[in-house]
Amino acid sequence: MIWLLGLLIGMMLAAAIAVLVLENHIAAVAATSIVSLALSVVFVLLRAPDVAMTEAAVGAGLSSLILALSLRRLGLWQIEGDKHPEIAKEGVDA
Amino acid sequence: MTLTVLEQISAILVGLALLLGFIRLLLGPTAPDRVVSADTLSVIVTAALVAVGAWLGNALYLDVALVYGALAFVGIVAVARAIEGGHS
Repeated sequence: MIWLLGLLIGMMLAAAIAVLVLENHIAAVAATSIVSLALSVVFVLLRAPDVAMTEAAVGAGLSSLILALSLRRLGLWQIEGDKHPEIAKEGVDA
Repeated sequence: MTLTVLEQISAILVGLALLLGFIRLLLGPTAPDRVVSADTLSVIVTAALVAVGAWLGNALYLDVALVYGALAFVGIVAVARAIEGGHS
């Protein structure tokens, strides 16, 4: 099972770097949820189910919920492309 | 833990599914592709947690899978509402 742990830790590292690199905020929120997803499976494979349950509740549920609702409130959403959204166009009249 | 042949095959398939979904997350040209791949990965991980509970022979891991499946659904729905736009 050590290769599955290695795959999950590599996924965590790549998703954390993708959060820094991506310029679209919604894609960055999706990559953030992937980091907590892989961390939850790592905790399960290390036989800590209570820590994994807490990580699933906080990381997969609450953090992506709060980040998505704050993106919606701030008007930073943009669907097409990975360009940076026009903050001045969408955010001022919000 | 020592796995039987079927459990090793299931572990390899789960790892391959995680890898393919994660490649789509990294390469997805638009944001909805990445969000859909995150949803797919959450379903794969729910199945993987049930599989790990079967490997370890402990029913407590099923609760982790249940909590994770419910809360990942809520998170993905929130991200989908953020994509939809408008003011809440």
